[in-house]
Amino acid sequence: MRQYAARLPGVVYAADNLYTCSQDTQRHIAEMIDRHRLNRVVVAACTPRTHEPLFQATLRAAGLNRSLFEMANIRDQCSWVHMNEPEAATEKAKDLVRMAVTKAAYLVPLAEQSLPVTGSALVIGGGVAGITAALTVADQGYECVLVERGKDLGGQALKLTADRNGQDPREKVAALIRQVEGHPRIRVLKRAEVSLISGYVGNFTSTVATDSGNQSVKHGVTVLATGGHPYCPGGRYLYGKSPRVMTQLELEARLASDDPLPPDAGQVVMIQCVGSRGEDLAYCSRVCCGQALKNAIRLKRARPDLGVVILYRDMRAYGFLEDDYQEARRMGVIFLRYSPERPPRVLEEEDRGGTLTVRAWDPLIGEDVEFRTDMLVLSVGVVPEDQRDLAGMLKVPVTEDGFLLEAHVKLRPVDLPVDGVYVCGLAHSPRSIDESIAQAQAAAARACRSLARGSIVPEPIVSSVDEEKCVGCGACERFCPYKAIRLHKEGKKCKARTITASCKGCGICASRCPTMAIDMGRFTCEGIMAQIHAFSEREETNGNQ
Amino acid sequence: MATNKYEPRILGFLCNWCCYTAADSAGVGRYQYPPNLRVIRIMCTGRLDPSFPLEALATGADGVFVGGCHPGECHYQDGNYHALVSAALVHEGMEMLGVRKERFLIDWASAAEGPHFVKIITDFTRQVTELGPLGKAEGRDAKRLRRRLSMAAAAARGRKVRTGLINAAREMMKGRDFSREGIAGLVRDKCGRSLETALGDRAGR
Ligand SMILES: Cc1cc2nc3c(=O)[nH]c(=O)nc-3n(C[C@H](O)[C@H](O)[C@H](O)COP(=O)(O)OP(=O)(O)OC[C@H]3O[C@@H](n4cnc5c(N)ncnc54)[C@H](O)[C@@H]3O)c2cc1C
Repeated sequence: MRQYAARLPGVVYAADNLYTCSQDTQRHIAEMIDRHRLNRVVVAACTPRTHEPLFQATLRAAGLNRSLFEMANIRDQCSWVHMNEPEAATEKAKDLVRMAVTKAAYLVPLAEQSLPVTGSALVIGGGVAGITAALTVADQGYECVLVERGKDLGGQALKLTADRNGQDPREKVAALIRQVEGHPRIRVLKRAEVSLISGYVGNFTSTVATDSGNQSVKHGVTVLATGGHPYCPGGRYLYGKSPRVMTQLELEARLASDDPLPPDAGQVVMIQCVGSRGEDLAYCSRVCCGQALKNAIRLKRARPDLGVVILYRDMRAYGFLEDDYQEARRMGVIFLRYSPERPPRVLEEEDRGGTLTVRAWDPLIGEDVEFRTDMLVLSVGVVPEDQRDLAGMLKVPVTEDGFLLEAHVKLRPVDLPVDGVYVCGLAHSPRSIDESIAQAQAAAARACRSLARGSIVPEPIVSSVDEEKCVGCGACERFCPYKAIRLHKEGKKCKARTITASCKGCGICASRCPTMAIDMGRFTCEGIMAQIHAFSEREETNGNQ
Repeated sequence: MATNKYEPRILGFLCNWCCYTAADSAGVGRYQYPPNLRVIRIMCTGRLDPSFPLEALATGADGVFVGGCHPGECHYQDGNYHALVSAALVHEGMEMLGVRKERFLIDWASAAEGPHFVKIITDFTRQVTELGPLGKAEGRDAKRLRRRLSMAAAAARGRKVRTGLINAAREMMKGRDFSREGIAGLVRDKCGRSLETALGDRAGR
């Protein structure tokens, strides 16, 4: 690849590195720019979506305009997706590099602009994640608006009555709520919903609908913490039909009440993964195994003679939850595995006062096992709140399962792909309270990073108008989604002009211009045409063989 | 490659926010698909000049794919609707020249739909493979076809056709009918004549 690249027109230096994104290589790139007086840089590696900013920073440090950079995506879109066809993949990589190098020749330096940032945050969702994010932002000195749809803050955490250390999370949450509601820099809006968001990092404007009318909020960053709710088991396992069947959250409520268990209760059965992992929910909800262990231990502590059986597919007691698993076993909780092909069955016996019989296939002994039980507890997963309206307004992606999708799972785990928008808590993925808090702090820290700079320098991918060619027809003005291009009088004629601070770089104006008078920074017509021709070149060389 | 199997040459224009991201995530998930596609990244399919796909077909592609965000989910609101207008012109030109329309596809995959992207590309590659090199399924001389496609590309850069596209796009936005048939009808209406003239006159049939 390196030899191939070195022979391409315009290339004066080509090198391969083990890690092109490493600190050493950045230094090397800067040195080579200096030594060979390079004025364009092409990196063939992973994807520009994650790594372009890093290399652009290197260019800038070496004194080059960051628009003089191009990337060929030969990993995510080549080597990784053609793993069994190395030769074809190499041919493809050559083409991609040739196309990138060809385009690079047409890149020109673009002027940078700096836009002011509104120094405040909007946090949507007042569960533990949202509350934590709001406090973290406000404690760093920024204003914050926290919007909660319901009449109270707190969310799902208020339904949990003990954590694994036996403490009541509701007390901590109540303290957090007092803190957030009394914070001088936080404005809490309850029974409120965001009906409109427009703008971009540094300059968002939202409309919040509240009982007392609409409020307009200006904010520099947005944190989404819209959370989730328990999966509803429907009629499964007699849920809703027998009073003896309940979810883990309902059991938690009972355990904190005055009569946690029927006085004569002798047996409790729990079923894991109800509706999860390939049923209505495709995924594992992460919290349910720990919750079952926690509640089994609570039951055993309250009534050591009580029989507790957990029917599971895989016990996912990750991290310190392993201690809970050991503890539960030590206390005599029985773990019995079932397979999804042969799920447990439940029968209600009217003549025995409505007790339940749970029958499960035990794969170890190869036989059905029966338990007569006084209570059946279903471990159900987490369903994300429907975020399509918000996601649609902000243009952030939602996974098939309905969770918000981060920009990069490893490198940018709390950023959404749209600049200035962050995610935390159950809105992102099922997670325990402590994990939600850690993630909310991370999201707030990332959000403050944008606020702390005080200004942003957006990518200079904006349109520009060649006034010689412009005929003043106004098509660009009509179609621009951002009102970022306007006609103005130039003597007797009308000419279009870009308002660069508003331009987002979509390019609609360019492709609709009747005289091709409009071009896009870094995505010029000339540059893309050159890429197309570079793509086509290979056929000719192949044809000659 | 020393294999005799025909490998089509496919050029793709993917928008940064949806399809390009889907393609990246297909990589992260190690989903495999045929190695025929070469990608040009654009910020939005709204950037797709109607002449780009025609130019690609004229100079060497056997198939062209344009991938954007699902309708209604465009990062820039309307970009993919404008792409549909440009695409309709491409299809119109292909039909006039007798080029199989299945060689050009515009479709959508959201950032979260790596597997869907893989399916689109796998199916499209199979489809173009079945058509064979440009000219084969058409039963026409490839060189001549490409020359005429190049005229269509030039026409798509011309003021007459582009003015027609503006009118088509205006009506589309006014009527809010974003169906492919609806848009194809508008484009045929507004650009058909000028495109035909350009091809007829300059092709010297
Ligand atoms: C069934 C289940 C069992 C669990 N078990 C445990 C456990 O045993 N141990 C443990 O540590 N954790 C457990 N968790 C997880 C824990 O509850 C969460 O990690 C924690 O409460 C953080 O939630 P959150 O703030 O992200 O979301 P939530 O608590 O859901 O809060 C989201 C808030 O946002 C509001 N909202 C939603 N949409 C909008 C909107 N559009 N506009 C305005 N407001 C909106 C909601 O009204 C809600 O108040 C469990 C969760 C569930 C669902």
